[in-house]
Amino acid sequence: MRVEYINPFVEAAFNILKEVLQTEVNREELYLKKSTQPVMGVAAIVGLAGDVEGRVLIDMSKETAMKVASTMNGEELNTIDELVKATITELANMITAQAVTKLHELGFKFDLTPPAIMTGDNMQVSDLNVEALIVPLGLPQGKIEINVAIKERVGA
Amino acid sequence: MKTTSDFPSINERVPEGVTNDGKPIRVMIVDDSMFVTKQISQILSSEGFDIVATAADGAEGVEKYKELYPEVDLVTMDITMPRMDGVTALEKIIEFDKNANVVMVSALGKQDLVKKSLMLGAKNYIVKPLDRKKVLERVLSSIK
Repeated sequence: MRVEYINPFVEAAFNILKEVLQTEVNREELYLKKSTQPVMGVAAIVGLAGDVEGRVLIDMSKETAMKVASTMNGEELNTIDELVKATITELANMITAQAVTKLHELGFKFDLTPPAIMTGDNMQVSDLNVEALIVPLGLPQGKIEINVAIKERVGA
Repeated sequence: MKTTSDFPSINERVPEGVTNDGKPIRVMIVDDSMFVTKQISQILSSEGFDIVATAADGAEGVEKYKELYPEVDLVTMDITMPRMDGVTALEKIIEFDKNANVVMVSALGKQDLVKKSLMLGAKNYIVKPLDRKKVLERVLSSIK
């Protein structure tokens, strides 16, 4: 997978998180994972289809999701309820919208699915035939991983 | 200006969401995200606006606008929604009431749809992420 696909997502996540949480965001070292990998507990997934295809995961622990949603809502939220899920969905919406605008400007043409939120313990994600690039972002609320597995479509 | 009572306060100011004759501006929020609805509602309520209705998709928004007419002064309209999108809902509201004040709420990267909305009669637009200043500025300019 080419690094240029992940950078717009990481930059967008960095900008949006900084803006909505009013905090410093620490970009940590990028790493690569093959086939199957664990997911932390609350993951927003967005699918891409077009010149490039694959998926983007915005992945965090339940604790981080509740803390992030609490900050964004200006109130203490202690369970993964509808409001927390709606908040993380909106966060994923804003990040992907900004990233995709950038990728479209670079000439990549593709459509997005609306974000879906998955929650649970001991979850894993498997991507066949494409490795995932992961950039952890450190926040006072915890760690959020931007996890991107995208490849060019054959024949595109 | 509001007249002062027995204990005038130097901090006293007229909230933005109230007309010159003291009536709150009545708002309907159309958005499929509970988070965004809450966010807009909190910002506007804190300035004295009255949130008279919310709708979770464009179709519900059009329906409620017609039902409440003429008791809604302003509509905030999300663009991407299930069932009926915000641009179609805007079109239907303007068709019903050509003087409707509709402000579009959009994610980044929807410039074409924002442009189309403004041509169809939307008064203004706000790009997410939302913040207090941005929301108040755009909403107020659309009803003045």
